[in-house]
Amino acid sequence: MADHSPIHVGLLFSKTGDISTIETSQLMGTLLAIDEVNAAGGIDGREIIPIHYDPQSSPGLYRVLAERLVLEDRINVIFGCYMSSTRKAVIPIIEKWNRLLFYPTLYEGFECSSNIVYTGAAPNQNSVQLAEFMTASYGVRVYLIGSDYIYPYESNRIMTDLVLQRRGGEKVGERYVPLNAVHDDFKSIIADVKDKQPDFIFSTVVGNSTKCLYQAYADAGLDPRTMPIASLTTLEAEIAQMGADVGAGHVSAAPYFQSIATPRNLESLEKFKRRFGSDVIPNAGWEAAYFQVHLFANAMRLSGSDAIDALMPNLLGSEFDAPQGRVRIDPSNHHTCLYPRIGIANGSGQFTVVRQAIRAVHPDPYLITHSLGDWTISLDTPK
Amino acid sequence: MVGQKNTTSELLRSLRTLSVAAFHPADEDGEELLLQLRRIGCHAQAFWPPAPRLPEGADVVFIAVRPDTAVPNWSEDRDARAPTIIAIVNYENPTIVDMVLKLEVHGIVASPIRPFGLLSALVVARQIRNSRAAMTKQVQRLESKLAGVRHVAEAKAILMRARNVSEPDAYQIIRDQAMAKRTTVEHMAYAIVSANDILFR
Repeated sequence: MADHSPIHVGLLFSKTGDISTIETSQLMGTLLAIDEVNAAGGIDGREIIPIHYDPQSSPGLYRVLAERLVLEDRINVIFGCYMSSTRKAVIPIIEKWNRLLFYPTLYEGFECSSNIVYTGAAPNQNSVQLAEFMTASYGVRVYLIGSDYIYPYESNRIMTDLVLQRRGGEKVGERYVPLNAVHDDFKSIIADVKDKQPDFIFSTVVGNSTKCLYQAYADAGLDPRTMPIASLTTLEAEIAQMGADVGAGHVSAAPYFQSIATPRNLESLEKFKRRFGSDVIPNAGWEAAYFQVHLFANAMRLSGSDAIDALMPNLLGSEFDAPQGRVRIDPSNHHTCLYPRIGIANGSGQFTVVRQAIRAVHPDPYLITHSLGDWTISLDTPK
Repeated sequence: MVGQKNTTSELLRSLRTLSVAAFHPADEDGEELLLQLRRIGCHAQAFWPPAPRLPEGADVVFIAVRPDTAVPNWSEDRDARAPTIIAIVNYENPTIVDMVLKLEVHGIVASPIRPFGLLSALVVARQIRNSRAAMTKQVQRLESKLAGVRHVAEAKAILMRARNVSEPDAYQIIRDQAMAKRTTVEHMAYAIVSANDILFR
């Protein structure tokens, strides 16, 4: 007799706290995909039932709730985490109990847990392309502003290394703010920026304080046409928080932007809007959260079990037609082959894609010395 | 706020050029080791059992220390250009730890191998090997310097006795001879001491 019991999966995305906006969008991307899988008959007739907890943007709660999902809810697969600090908090739990985490966020690299599938960009899939574009288009003097935790430190190391490869390349400033930074925290930094006059700013500020940086920048009368803020984390959701007029002209790199005009992407966006309305704004985190559920469902159709040892051989090397393009999990490092893109925020709160990869770029999470001018990672200008 | 370093250490930068020989049985652990070394970007190859001589051309050697396999004696090959050696252990009892001590390794990795921690172990072991090599070189330099000083003092004493001259004059004689023979003062002094041994003892 066929097994028709539902499959419970765990979701750890914060609906409250400093990173609630981006994680809520990841939660909704996850729910959209679960909806799609269930509407198509589930996994061989078995319905996916999500169990979601709100870790309130606190690493300690991620650990506690991950353990609750494993021990009380008997969950084998967890989808979640945005900040590296929260992923690091969950790792000991999933490794101890041998469970699987799908992590839908770009991060700084240098990790490859056998219990994680990483579906966001590694630095060789966004930082290098962003540095190439910024130094070629705006100049080689950079000012670094970041939230005070590990992702900004490492991303800034990479950006500095890349900028210094350019003739005359220079880091003119480097400042960090707390994760819950408000408008006033950026005032003295922006004053310093005005004083140092970099060619561009690289922001690794994440979460809800992102809007404060961009607003402080706008209030100071700085001009994105000559000194834009470049970022890997300021995406459509953050632009909506700060206002399209404040965000316009700034530059971001990501494998996905809402504005990708393929039928595949439009279909997902349309479906999402119809099902969940327009309060939550799709972005690269949303898209990775969305496609990783489908990668899981497809693998489980083959394995018939959601135990990690059964799933993993079917996950590694598997492919899926995601909104950004056809993605593939690299079997050697559990990260994902993705399509780097550069977007400039426009007046309607969307990103105009100005550069894009024609083929997927392989993840290389342990790359220490990135090089500008590497043709394997060079991007095309969309026609 | 935290000031970050803006230049990455050469020990990290050079990881992608490293040639690594891994002496490890062909099992799941060995595969994990090789896979992680390749993720890091090293040129890694695996062998088992351990070779009797240290492999030439390798920058780093991993060696699984197993109770049932004798550890090779590589001490003769351990010159200034010898590679970094890292032991992989699956037991921690005195027998195994003793085998590890005999190998004089620069680092240790626990089995079962997890990807996390290997990069740090590798980089720190290389730092230890490099600083140990630099110190050995320094010690050798100091030792030969010290021997030279001792020979000069002895040669001066011999000349002062034989030619009845003052210490500065004795030194001047050695120096002039060294100049004339286009050699160093230390070398000249050594010649005088050796000749004195043969002629007068």
